[in-house]
Amino acid sequence: MNFISKAAKKSPWIYRINAGSCNGCDVELATTACIPRYDIERLGCQYCGSPRHADIILITGPITVGVKDKLLRVYEQVPDPKVTVAVGICPISGGVFRESYAIAGPLDQFVPVDVNIAGCPPRPQAIIEGLAMAIDIWASRA
Amino acid sequence: MIGEFFRILFAVLVFPGGLFAIALGLLLKGVERRLVARLQRRIGAPLLQPFYDLVKLMGKITFVPDLADTNVFLMTPLIGVASMSLAMAMLPIAGVYAPSPMLGDLLVLFYVISLPALSLMLAGSASGSPFGAIGFSREMALMLAYEGPILLVIVSVALHVGAASGRGPMFSLAEIVQYQIRHGPLILDWRMVPAALAYAAFIPANLGMPPFDIAEAETELLEGPLLEYTGASLGLLKLASAIKTVAIAGLGVALFFPNGPGGVLGVVAFAAKCLVIVGCLSVLKAAVGRMRIDQAVVFYLRWPVLFGVLSLAMVAIHV
Repeated sequence: MNFISKAAKKSPWIYRINAGSCNGCDVELATTACIPRYDIERLGCQYCGSPRHADIILITGPITVGVKDKLLRVYEQVPDPKVTVAVGICPISGGVFRESYAIAGPLDQFVPVDVNIAGCPPRPQAIIEGLAMAIDIWASRA
Repeated sequence: MIGEFFRILFAVLVFPGGLFAIALGLLLKGVERRLVARLQRRIGAPLLQPFYDLVKLMGKITFVPDLADTNVFLMTPLIGVASMSLAMAMLPIAGVYAPSPMLGDLLVLFYVISLPALSLMLAGSASGSPFGAIGFSREMALMLAYEGPILLVIVSVALHVGAASGRGPMFSLAEIVQYQIRHGPLILDWRMVPAALAYAAFIPANLGMPPFDIAEAETELLEGPLLEYTGASLGLLKLASAIKTVAIAGLGVALFFPNGPGGVLGVVAFAAKCLVIVGCLSVLKAAVGRMRIDQAVVFYLRWPVLFGVLSLAMVAIHV
């Protein structure tokens, strides 16, 4: 591990993409995983508003047909190295929406997925564990 | 002459500009984040978090957006860092460091400390993003509002020190600090208290901190001018804002309470004063929301201007 990846391990900035999610996973991500009780900022995490600042991308939702192109455009704007995390069962398999005519997913057809966090929605503890795995992968790439 | 040149170079690159300012600025940013987290009953990021962030950003790819003007887009972060290192070299630290007279006086410093805001405005407009453009217009409106009061503060301090030493307006910062070492800090002079209040109101707007973080509003403008920046150039913008924290706090210290011991203890005292200022800003940050741009402009054109004029008038009448 060199100097930069040691520092990078302590500074993973995270970015959320909602790809047609029902908002359940987003609520878990945005509020539960970030409120004082869990406080992922102590791992150095920071939600960023712009994909250009991001290191770890959290994708929720089953990738609807309409959102697929936008998702790929935003994904391209995240500078390398980056880590992709699928949050909830929808991006992993389609969840309750699988085989629907409106769904283009699952996610791993379009982008390389590094960590899957299953659940509908996943528990905050599961999200934090998934993030910890993502941080290890991110540090090995930086 | 050559010796003087190298002394200035050392002041800009190592102490008190450059390395010293970077280390102190990033540490102050870390303290601010930690303190805000504690006030929200969180554990918060480690104290050295800004250092980790900076090193990480240096290792990432730098994109230039298709719509951006490449040269301006990549140059502006450098302007911010360079101008703030220069500003630090122009700030005296009582008993430790006196700037070379060749670097210029308070009025030159006044223009140098407005350069990072200009570079941020240029960055926003050169990035080709609509959020950057909104950030640009807000930064400009805010700057027009807060530059007036700060000039009033500078002129009242210069007039006061000049009149007290029996000369015309005294714009040399080194002389102002010398005067306060001999006669006690200006903040204890009741005529200077309104000017100090006006300066205190100016700090959060210049540093882009709540309730005046309007140009970089994270939740509505997605950090505005910083939106399109990636990797090393984003790191340089963060660095410029860290040095700016030290420079603006340091100017307040030099203008109103520079008194302190000499030598290494003087550096520690300076850092402690900066820490107190940043601590107050953090409490403010945790306690208030964000103002709208029209409210902020009206605020700056009302209270700091009123306080500045009050100080100026009292100084002028006592002459």
